[in-house]
Amino acid sequence: MTRGRAGAIVAVALAAGLALRLVRLDARPMHHDEANQALKFGALLERGEYAYDAHDHHGPTLYYVTLPFAWLRGQATLASLDERTLRAVPAAFGAATVLLLPLLAPGIGRTAVAAATLLMATSPAMVFYSRMYIQESMFACFTLTFAIAIGRAATEQGWQWPVLAGIAAGLAAATKETAVIVVPASLTACALAWWSLGSRRSSFALTNAGSAAMVSLAIGAGIAALFYSSFLVHPGGVLEPVRAAATYFQRGIDPENHVQPWHYYVRLLAWSSSGGLVWTEALVLILATVGAATAWTALDASRPDRVFWHRYLTANAAIALAVFSTIPYKTPWNLLPFYTVTIVSAGIGISALARATGSRAAHVLLVGAVAIASAHLSWQAWRASVVYASDPRNPYVYAQTVPDAVRMAARIRDLAALHRERERMPVTVIAPAGEQWPLPWYLRTMTHVGYWTDASDAPDLTAPVIVSSAGHTDLLDATLGDRYVSEFFGLRPEVLLSVYVERSLWDRFLSRAGPGERGRGD
Amino acid sequence: MSNRTLACSVLLALALVPLGAQPVPDKEELKLKLPKPMFIGTPTNLKSANLEKVTGKPRGPFYVPKGTVLLSLKKKVTSSDSQPVIGELDMITDGEKGGGDGYFVELGPTSQWVQIDLGAPHALYAILMWHYHSQARVYRDVVVQVSDDAAFKSGVTTIFNNDHDNSSKFGLGSDKEYVEVAEGRLIDPKGVTGRYVRLYSNGNTTNDLNHYVEVEVYGSPK
Repeated sequence: MTRGRAGAIVAVALAAGLALRLVRLDARPMHHDEANQALKFGALLERGEYAYDAHDHHGPTLYYVTLPFAWLRGQATLASLDERTLRAVPAAFGAATVLLLPLLAPGIGRTAVAAATLLMATSPAMVFYSRMYIQESMFACFTLTFAIAIGRAATEQGWQWPVLAGIAAGLAAATKETAVIVVPASLTACALAWWSLGSRRSSFALTNAGSAAMVSLAIGAGIAALFYSSFLVHPGGVLEPVRAAATYFQRGIDPENHVQPWHYYVRLLAWSSSGGLVWTEALVLILATVGAATAWTALDASRPDRVFWHRYLTANAAIALAVFSTIPYKTPWNLLPFYTVTIVSAGIGISALARATGSRAAHVLLVGAVAIASAHLSWQAWRASVVYASDPRNPYVYAQTVPDAVRMAARIRDLAALHRERERMPVTVIAPAGEQWPLPWYLRTMTHVGYWTDASDAPDLTAPVIVSSAGHTDLLDATLGDRYVSEFFGLRPEVLLSVYVERSLWDRFLSRAGPGERGRGD
Repeated sequence: MSNRTLACSVLLALALVPLGAQPVPDKEELKLKLPKPMFIGTPTNLKSANLEKVTGKPRGPFYVPKGTVLLSLKKKVTSSDSQPVIGELDMITDGEKGGGDGYFVELGPTSQWVQIDLGAPHALYAILMWHYHSQARVYRDVVVQVSDDAAFKSGVTTIFNNDHDNSSKFGLGSDKEYVEVAEGRLIDPKGVTGRYVRLYSNGNTTNDLNHYVEVEVYGSPK
């Protein structure tokens, strides 16, 4: 494939990828994890406060990188933030991940890069999690950068690649604790591919491997230390990831929840059918298998570097998938770091098919098939990210807040607008911690909202609006009696919250709503 | 009229309100063919003042005038969403009540309606509807109306309304919201006469979309 054609395909893929990642970023209600991250970022934005939490929330990069996005939109407080600002961060890194692929052209060829770019830009999994304010999109970008950089360092002279590898490893480590899986998986795959070349590996550029490794390590450690110490504000934070290791190791091998079978990730990507909706990225998995099979069975003696790259990247995908599949703790977004290299492997598979088909007609058919596959992936990505963004039938959705919860928050704000204290109207929330989120995000403009996990801990039950989980409704019904009216809203599928409203406030709300005024025949 | 007579009259009227649930000489039990439950267990943690209590027990017998028949089977259905996201509108009256894939129609978000044309005015004695019974969820602003006017601009009788906050602008509804289960929701039209039955909903507690598995309208054959 010519440089011009490959460039044009990358440009088209990037445009499609950006559109899918940026349009209607507020379509999906905030997931409780997103809301949690948003509140943590709000503290950094408003007060410059950040300290790494060894038990939760992952690394600091997400929060620091979000700062310029908020500044660009002129948002200086938590209350002024919105979903578009926050989700633009993972969307930007999702697009950047697509743009990394041309760096692989010297190694895997332009055909593989062009095909992989199309698949990466339109993959529903990649798009969906690039629109979610969690660490995964950034993490996948940093880990793929690391994988590319060490491959280039292994095959080319110069210090730029070891330096880039160090930067990427440092940022990955400062983003998510699972860097201890993904980075070694890439190093192992690189070593395995290099070893598999036998006598042909002597043509490689590993002349200063020891020095290069030391440089990468020093840079990576320095960058990670800067972030974990909150840019030297909390020097002790440098040691916190060590403390976190035990927490995350225990959570990974003996989780209290999020336990899934070993085939969870493959099954999720391969096929999902629920409630009349079908989703599949099986073609990517099949093409990646083709890429791996050809990489490890054919040996082109004239291009040992290409053989190395093909074997390295396909092995990287397989090793990372195997490790993540072995760990009992699984959440769907954890697939991103190994799925990026799986998609590259699919590009290698398409390139192998192109080489195997000699006739022009077969090439045209292959190009048509890739175009149709990309269009199908794009359609699924749109459906997953916008039309069914919070629907439990969507396989990428996980413990997702339902739209009813947004209506609940809107109801509380509407009631506050009718209360004499407006946004200072007291609101009491009594629910287990897992059933409080994402309310703090949606009620972020209200200044007097109190959260308790048990009714007995709440100071009193006199707030004009009281939100309760199902477990506390008997007590609240008995305590509040006729002074309050109650209604209920969904929080997540099959999780409801009750909202108790002081009767006089409710009457004002209803009188404002007016009598039935809908035109007949509407 | 003395106060005692008035009180007795009110009590008698109140006693006769749930007439459909009472066995009376000129009535017979409405025989219903119900689908298998799609989810196991009863969502007993779902409690709220405007939510019907979930008992987990079967609905009791429902009595209708002798000779009552199913009027809606295979009858024409129209909708505010003429191009459903999933399924076809005729699924609503095709007699298939299984809640699985391929048995329901999915309409778009916000308030949507479906309308069944019975072909001629009939006295109606029972309406049974299933929105979606594969999951414990509650559909919002369920309003059921009957009319002889296909456009529902005149002669409209509202026989069910659980829009407790008037968000769909039909006026405050006094009926309670309910959790979707396999036995469907039975409404007593109390003999109101009409040719068209229109059913509204406004999303649900799981998503913004509107669904129907089946609607059955029972009434006098003439």
